[in-house]
Amino acid sequence: MTTASFDPFEFELFRNSLLSVADEMALTVHRTTYSTVLRDNLDYSTAFFDGRGRMIAQGFSLPAHLGSMPTALAAVLARFEGAIRPGDVYALNDPFHGGMHLPDIFIFKPIFVDGELVAFAGTISHHTDVGGRVAGSNAPDSIEIYQEGVRIPPMRIYDAGHRNETFFELLLTNVRVPDMVAGDIRAQLAACHVAEVAFTDLCRSYGIAKVQRLTDAMLDHSERMARAEIAKLPDGTFTFEDFLDDDGIDVGKPIRLKVAVHKTGDRILFDWTGSSPQVRGALNATLSFTKSASYCGVLSVMEDRIPNNEGAFRAIEVVAPAGTIVNCVHPASVAARGLTGFRMVDTVFGALAQMVPGKVTAAGDGGNTNISIGGYDAERKPYIFCDFTCCAWGGRAFADGLDGNSHMFANMAGQSSEVIEAEQPLFVECYELLGDRGGAGQFRGGAPYRRAYRFLGEEAVISIRSDRRDIRPYGLYGGYPGGASMNVLTRAGGAPEVYPAKFYGQLRRGDLFVHETAAGGGWGDPLEREPARVLKDVWNDFVSAASARELYGVVLTADGRSVDLPATEALRGRIRTARGWQETPYALRETPKQAVEWPERQA
Amino acid sequence: MSTQKTKVRIGVDIGGTFTDISIMDARGGIITKKVASTVDNYARAIGEGLAAAFGENALGGADVAELLHGTTVASNAILELKGARTGLITTKGFRDVLELRLLRMPRLYDLLWEKPPALVERSLRLEVDERVDAKGKIVRPLDPAEVEAALDRLLAEKVEAISVCLLHAYVNDAHERMIRDIIRRRAPEMVLSISSEVLPEIKEYERTSTTVINSYVKPVVGRYLKSLTADLKGVGITAPLLLMQSNGGLTPAEVAAEMPVHIIESGPAAGVIGARALARRAGFDKVISFDMGGTTAKAALVENGEVTRAEEYSVGGGIMIGSRLMSGAGYVLKVPAIDLAEVGAGGGSIIAIDAGGAPQVGPLSAGAFPGPVCYDLGGTEPTVTDANVVLGYINPTELAGGAVKLHAEKSRAVLAEKIAAPLGLPVERAAHGAHLVAAANMIRAIKAVSSERGRDPREFALVAFGGNGPLFAAGMARALGIRRVIVPPSAGVFSAVGLLYSDVEYHLSRTYRQRTTALDLPGLVAAWQALEDQAREKLAADGFRPDQIHLRRFAKLHYKGQAYELSVPMPEGPVTEATSARLDQAFGDEHERTYGHRAGPGEPVELVSLNLAATGELDTLRDTGGGMAAATAAPGERQAYFGPEHGWLPTPILGRGHLVGRDRQGPVVIEEYDCTCVVPPGMTARLDPHGNITIDTGIAA
Repeated sequence: MTTASFDPFEFELFRNSLLSVADEMALTVHRTTYSTVLRDNLDYSTAFFDGRGRMIAQGFSLPAHLGSMPTALAAVLARFEGAIRPGDVYALNDPFHGGMHLPDIFIFKPIFVDGELVAFAGTISHHTDVGGRVAGSNAPDSIEIYQEGVRIPPMRIYDAGHRNETFFELLLTNVRVPDMVAGDIRAQLAACHVAEVAFTDLCRSYGIAKVQRLTDAMLDHSERMARAEIAKLPDGTFTFEDFLDDDGIDVGKPIRLKVAVHKTGDRILFDWTGSSPQVRGALNATLSFTKSASYCGVLSVMEDRIPNNEGAFRAIEVVAPAGTIVNCVHPASVAARGLTGFRMVDTVFGALAQMVPGKVTAAGDGGNTNISIGGYDAERKPYIFCDFTCCAWGGRAFADGLDGNSHMFANMAGQSSEVIEAEQPLFVECYELLGDRGGAGQFRGGAPYRRAYRFLGEEAVISIRSDRRDIRPYGLYGGYPGGASMNVLTRAGGAPEVYPAKFYGQLRRGDLFVHETAAGGGWGDPLEREPARVLKDVWNDFVSAASARELYGVVLTADGRSVDLPATEALRGRIRTARGWQETPYALRETPKQAVEWPERQA
Repeated sequence: MSTQKTKVRIGVDIGGTFTDISIMDARGGIITKKVASTVDNYARAIGEGLAAAFGENALGGADVAELLHGTTVASNAILELKGARTGLITTKGFRDVLELRLLRMPRLYDLLWEKPPALVERSLRLEVDERVDAKGKIVRPLDPAEVEAALDRLLAEKVEAISVCLLHAYVNDAHERMIRDIIRRRAPEMVLSISSEVLPEIKEYERTSTTVINSYVKPVVGRYLKSLTADLKGVGITAPLLLMQSNGGLTPAEVAAEMPVHIIESGPAAGVIGARALARRAGFDKVISFDMGGTTAKAALVENGEVTRAEEYSVGGGIMIGSRLMSGAGYVLKVPAIDLAEVGAGGGSIIAIDAGGAPQVGPLSAGAFPGPVCYDLGGTEPTVTDANVVLGYINPTELAGGAVKLHAEKSRAVLAEKIAAPLGLPVERAAHGAHLVAAANMIRAIKAVSSERGRDPREFALVAFGGNGPLFAAGMARALGIRRVIVPPSAGVFSAVGLLYSDVEYHLSRTYRQRTTALDLPGLVAAWQALEDQAREKLAADGFRPDQIHLRRFAKLHYKGQAYELSVPMPEGPVTEATSARLDQAFGDEHERTYGHRAGPGEPVELVSLNLAATGELDTLRDTGGGMAAATAAPGERQAYFGPEHGWLPTPILGRGHLVGRDRQGPVVIEEYDCTCVVPPGMTARLDPHGNITIDTGIAA
């Protein structure tokens, strides 16, 4: 650590102050926000930049937003550098000008001290609606960016303190829930204001020149931390590929995601070459999003918490060819690219599980399902129910996958069924975990959930983005894949019908929509699972007695209270022989066929 | 509940390491006693400690007017998963509400994360096919035969307790009551909690979790109170036993045994109440309480005589790991509790250098064992206490009147080797830096309860206590721009003292969701009346006269669509047409104060719930005698280091008595039996009429 102009403790105290500013920004958004997406799902991030636009501290953030902030501010600077004045505020959401997808509106406020541009405060929030053809602006089946809503190129929305009324009027006229969008933008502005006040205080007490030296040191410090952690990982090249079922337009055509992780010394490179060309449906990711997924993977296997800033990212390189699903170009549709992000993380984990098997999971449910239901009430006022949700973790080298826990990439909260019913024309028939779905393994994949919504209004549109119907979450090192996701729609008075993983349609009074998430893949050979754990799963309805026999080779006694150990040994032997593995398969996407008969099936 | 003025009152606070006892005599004098906690049965240390204290002070059980008690027995049962085998009956389709939680986890990038196990195993969560909708209409009637079948199964599984939580029972509790009656008839002895009685509020996860915790800890708390009552009888005490609740009010032991969900965070509450009492007495209407021990530091806010309360918190999730937004740890309890921000910083916090070369303090802690290196009990990593020893703040040879021997040279050696040398700093600079970083961590806790809620800490006085609080308080106060620090007598056992200043309190609430522009006024009047009747009835049952009862009404509101409510006092006087506008106004003001902005006048405001705080004032002596004797022994002196600006300064080492009748300019260190108080250069310490040390931090008004 440099001791040229400040001592290491002074540095640590400054860093502490700045992190607390970024955190205070995040709390401000949380407290003042209106929409459920922000308040419960925390689909927003805050960050702090130096005067040159380098990100020096990220407050609480969604991992999915890790790579996005520097890219967005760079787009603002490319357009406005040299013309930035005190009192200005900038915004953007266009994926082809620094954004990710249209609901994510970035807001940046330059901070001036004594006439000098010293910093930028930045926030990104997912807005409930930004217009376009489908309520919620999340439709997976748009085929060009123009269908997805209002595009905001980098714009000055406050000009030297004066609100740009033209911008606000144009934006709010084009969104379905203008009060909510306006309220959530206010929350973003409030967070920037908090940062401005606090950072100005810091500059006054340390002096601008010293603050600049300290922020440089923060970037260097994070870089050293990151490199030290990367150096601990084994060198080598680790490749893996995984798939999205399809884009909802070219139904049944799988989309390939491929990564090669090259690790040498204190550097790591994620090369996404070999991934599918960009698709017609709205699953296309910007490079900034692919960076987020790559960063998220590597941060997950580090032992120390690395402060998130551009210094840490200097040690991590990401390559993604333009025109592919991992680095799309205009006029690609992008609204539902969140799904692609989860799959990228699955792909990265599949590669990292070869590098550091003890540290990552088999595939989880493949998250996150988006359910949007929107319409107009009796007074023709629009409402939108929007939920992003996931549930099951893949098994791990040392423990079962979690049942009912969000995917870390977007650590979102579940919504209360009672609140949904109090606020929306919906009746929740069930919200429960499902047994016999988690991928069998020495460590079982997590259980998925089922949630059923009965529509009580007159008419609404429903838009569903889900996946892992055809290509199930992989199991690792002999673990079986998790169960597939499912959508069932029962029209009022009709019979249940299976719907595609991604669809858009109409709801009428009394219709019942049921979604089941996919389940986590297992880790390790299920025949190695401790019989006592299988027994406990049977008691708790996570595994049926039949699956205990067929998948785990565990036979219970007639009363179901204990394990019949000799019969279990014998059955496991028969399954091993029938399965005929020469070596344990690394990744399984299909359940191995069971050739074993079990004649003494109990009732 | 009245007290004979000739008798003594006793406060007992149990912590993980020590049990602190405070005795207030008839003239307001306070005697304190510290004994080791008996972890196998916490009640035993109380009996033994009291017997010893009685012996030393010529008291007997018959002299005791009442015994006030703060305990961690309920939270320990949850944290150690040692509660009752509990069953749950719930609405069909919602068996897993308790296990799904809110899906989120408190840590990112951590694939090792394990969810806290559900307090009711899945096989003991049974469903009945009934349903009430959000408006309270019964959509599917309950079939009693199904309840009987579920009960048969739970009885066969030998559960010790049952919780019932049905969807929307907060608006219509008919089905929950039916189930309750069936269980009462079939299993009259069964421990039973139903959600519409424990927490009649919307949000099924929070309500289920709270109801289940009540059942889960009830047998444990019941056994503990029974054992304690027997031990108290053993030392001749038959006086009423009152327990501190998480909300800072007392409750009779019988009520706590019935509704233990309110005493889960009993432990840390008493100190805050003590700070509130002290603030009232010393004439401050705004104070921040700051309690620092060996492993954690806690901050809370007292404003206009009221402690700030949070409407929910997590047991086992209290420590801030970076951000207060990282929720999802621990077990959610939605009952009013003093809003404490807690950080993992204490005397035992370990000082280290990270891989990037920056010094860090915590989150690892050497704890009570092996403890700081200077204890010489096997600790090998430098701690915050070691830094304070090197700085000359802590006595270099002994603490607690000689009960703990210290080895200052070991502190110095380990800090020099592991921190100062690698960073290229003199050892005292490293120790001072570590002291400041620890202070910065704790300042985040203070900001969490003040500036993050729109309160300017500069308007507050800081009340510091706990074994380590007064070591840091003055420096932290200056960094925050706070002008006054108050260090009460017996600061190291202040939680036990705080109990003596508490009142009996009940907090009642009910969901009442209406737009303020469309209030059902007669309904609102009736709802308030029902809450008030309930509160008066409870306090009357506890023996309070009407003139001892005080009711405070609060309304929780938000802009329609917001997730969080703000609590504002309900406008005084009867509910009328004007109430709506006054509520809007009060809410808008509070929103602006807390968040810095308010919405336009057309923005719909929604009333969410009605909350009643009902106090029964104990009829008792509230003031200490003060009148401390001046110290006669000559003050000591040692070198202490106050940063590069001042360097090493010869520093008088005083007892509190040395401040009698004489202000002291910093630097001085005030050493007491249970804590040490540092007054840096440029500050002034004096004694107020109540025996408090007040430090003027030298910041201009």
